[in-house]
Amino acid sequence: MQQVFNGLVSGSFYALLALGLAVIFGMLGVVNFAHGAFYMLGAFGAYILLTEAGVNFWLALVLVPLALGLFGVILERLLIRRLADLDPLYNFLLTFGLTLILQDLLKREYGVQSQPYPPPISATLDLGLFEYPAYQVFVLGCSIVVCLAVWFVLSRTRVGMIVRAATERPELTRAFGIDVGRWVTPVFGFGVALAGLAGVLAAPMRAVNPLMGADLIITVFAVVVIGGLGSTFGSVLAGFLIGVVGSLGNLYVPALSQTLVFILMAAVLLWRPAGLFGREEALT
Amino acid sequence: MGVSRTAALAAGIAVVAAGCGGGPGGGDEKISNGKITLAVLNDQSGVYADLSGKNSVTAVTMAIEDFKAEHGDKAVAKEIDVVTADHQNKPDVANSKAQELYDRQQADIILDVPTSSAALAVAGQAKAKKKLYINVGAATTELTGAQCNKYTFHWAYDTYMLANGTGTTVTAEGAKDWYIVYPDYAFGQDMEKSFTAAISKAGGKVLAKDPTPFPNDNFSTFLLKAPGMNPKPAVLGTMQAGGDLVNLVKQYNEFKLRDKGVDLAVGLMFITDIHSLGVAAFEGTKFTDAWYWNESPENRAWADKFKQRTGARPTFAHAANYSAAMQYLQAVQRAGTDDSDAVVKTLENHAFEDVFAKNGKVRAEDHRMIHDVYLAQVKAKSEVTEEWDYEKIIKTIPAAEAFKPLAENTCKF
Amino acid sequence: MLRIDRLSAWYGEAQALREVSLAVEPGEVVTLVGRNGAGKTTLLRCVMGLHKQLTGTVEFEGAALPALPVHRRARLGLGWVQDDRGIFASLSVEENLLLPPVVGPDPWSLKRVYEAFPRLAERRRFPGTKLSGGEQQMLAMARVLRMGSRLLLCDEPTEGLSPLLVQQIGDILREIKTQGVTVLLIEQNVHFAVTVADRHYLLAEGRVVESLDNAQVRAREHELLEYLGI
Repeated sequence: MQQVFNGLVSGSFYALLALGLAVIFGMLGVVNFAHGAFYMLGAFGAYILLTEAGVNFWLALVLVPLALGLFGVILERLLIRRLADLDPLYNFLLTFGLTLILQDLLKREYGVQSQPYPPPISATLDLGLFEYPAYQVFVLGCSIVVCLAVWFVLSRTRVGMIVRAATERPELTRAFGIDVGRWVTPVFGFGVALAGLAGVLAAPMRAVNPLMGADLIITVFAVVVIGGLGSTFGSVLAGFLIGVVGSLGNLYVPALSQTLVFILMAAVLLWRPAGLFGREEALT
Repeated sequence: MGVSRTAALAAGIAVVAAGCGGGPGGGDEKISNGKITLAVLNDQSGVYADLSGKNSVTAVTMAIEDFKAEHGDKAVAKEIDVVTADHQNKPDVANSKAQELYDRQQADIILDVPTSSAALAVAGQAKAKKKLYINVGAATTELTGAQCNKYTFHWAYDTYMLANGTGTTVTAEGAKDWYIVYPDYAFGQDMEKSFTAAISKAGGKVLAKDPTPFPNDNFSTFLLKAPGMNPKPAVLGTMQAGGDLVNLVKQYNEFKLRDKGVDLAVGLMFITDIHSLGVAAFEGTKFTDAWYWNESPENRAWADKFKQRTGARPTFAHAANYSAAMQYLQAVQRAGTDDSDAVVKTLENHAFEDVFAKNGKVRAEDHRMIHDVYLAQVKAKSEVTEEWDYEKIIKTIPAAEAFKPLAENTCKF
Repeated sequence: MLRIDRLSAWYGEAQALREVSLAVEPGEVVTLVGRNGAGKTTLLRCVMGLHKQLTGTVEFEGAALPALPVHRRARLGLGWVQDDRGIFASLSVEENLLLPPVVGPDPWSLKRVYEAFPRLAERRRFPGTKLSGGEQQMLAMARVLRMGSRLLLCDEPTEGLSPLLVQQIGDILREIKTQGVTVLLIEQNVHFAVTVADRHYLLAEGRVVESLDNAQVRAREHELLEYLGI
């Protein structure tokens, strides 16, 4: 039970990151390899605000995603936009190149050692069956609330309707008088902001260093594939699922736990080539 | 494809050129090609870049300067320089870089080389090229064990020394029951074996041991398991290093395991790790250190010079690189030549003291450099008086006891 | 209302339309007939802006279309009914109806849509693609009517539908014709075409080979059916 809870906490990060990747992929058709770097920037953003300006965690939790969202908007306007009509190889080169640039800029400034970030809550909570660090409970709660909020916006508002339609069939959506291009920039910014939020949440409980996103993002891609490329709901669910599977894997088959997620991915793809919640037509 | 073929060709040309031009020149030239070249091969951009990296190069440069100052006009060579290369912690890269350093850059010695697999690859090159190699950054006992060779030396530390220091001492102090978590790759497996052996020798018991994925950012599975075990372990021994260690310790503190009666012992820790997390996170943790910058006025003086150049305090690996470079140069001075066999001979059985090594001695039988090592404890935040002032030395382990006894060694040259 | 002059279109090297010229007047219902591969769908896609590799002139109420992005054309009053019906799976039936903005002076209200298509009202909360083929076709038509589009571009709305549903589509087309909506329709079923349309263009190998009125179509029915291979 405790281990399941554990997995859900890990899954919180996967879910937030996968959600951002999924909306970006859906709306722009861009596989954003720089997503891990944005997550890392989120954690560093919190760290830099704390050390340079004394801004506490709670404020950083709001400021950093906003700043990264803005950064995403600029990036989309300057660079990502140009990928639209190019071969997918350029997509890989650009976003992967961005990752290396961002990582190395921070390496130059801070080295590869992890930076200290004090926990904002150090108490533990009695959850009835077991005790758990309050901060991790907060992380899980935060992730669930954000995912629900995104779900609400996507499913209940006009903006969400447009995003869903444009994600599914961008060209057709235009044929109904909707300027999909106008929505692309904010959606990209929003996806980046989500990665930034995950990064801030990670700062107090994980090693803050320029490479922190690089290791995580591979798993997150597996999560997105399992959930179904472009399916936001699938990504979130797969995020929590993979968290739990990883946690139980650690416990019962430690030697396999790292590969477990990829075995699961292969199995899901054999069974449903478009992922758990993907639509076949999205593959073409 | 094209690139590697070009590189191979270039390397080939370099070998031929070196053979024709440089070579061990005519009869009485004592120093090959008139100068001594020290090569630092290490991780300059990855996880070990801070604990060795460019600052190791600085340490070696300091050794050269001190050597020149000491010998002045009588120095065996007028020209001594340093070259450096990044092995990215990959054995294949380390192998080709070592080849390039020995052949094309005419390095007389390679220093540092963290990451055990890369370290062993370089040892193979040293043996093939009959050139010197003093490893500082890697932990594997294989370098002076089954895979030892005549031209390879090992400075500073190894897994036996860490396990013997931390495992034995912590067990002897009463923490008999251990739970070990180790990263599932060569270093971690090696550490786990060494620790298990040391703990049982000291009368303790390893209740459980779990391999963890590498790299890993969530250790809660293991941290949750520890206090629930029956019997409950007195100490959690972590063999994680670098970013993984930071993750684990952050989460150890979040789960408040110390309050639940499970202490923390760290297999390998560098002062840069403590700096990363802050002393509060590590407070009270015991670990084995090969050297500490603030342990004596002499160490401190050297660390001050180091800080002037790098902005940071040295790790033990930095000081050990200084020592390795210095002892190599002194050996060349005594031998009067940089001929590898002659230098090896003067290094063997050499006993010395320098800023890094106390009661230092290079064992002739396996080329392990033995010296006093220390059991250290991380200070409480209130005890810290300045930045990087993180450790107190609670025990000195004499050189003779610190390293693997020769009787247990399998090295044959 | 719609004027096409010497329109040629390509897919890479392959030419799909060769200097097609035709016109549709306000309030007319005009069909495009022709075999598969004659270029009918390409022609419609060129008008909507979904096919871009083209030369020639396409004017809608005097506005040169090729310069305009797709969404602007829709806002000018072009209503798109795609051959696969173009229903969004991730949108409910009602969301499919409400997604496009209202662009014309005389749009159908949601209420009118539901009165005309009671099945859609029953299934308004269902995902769009959970409807049957016929219901999806109704939805596709209803969607452009709710937009108030003035020129409907319909790519074979009767394809694969039962005779009863075909008849219903016919009723709708006649009803909106009385309302003054203009329709450019791809239709293989010449029997059906003459019941709804004023004029017909016969396309072959990317060219307009003939322009026919209803009387001509009826007179040459056998010949046409044979030609179309039906």
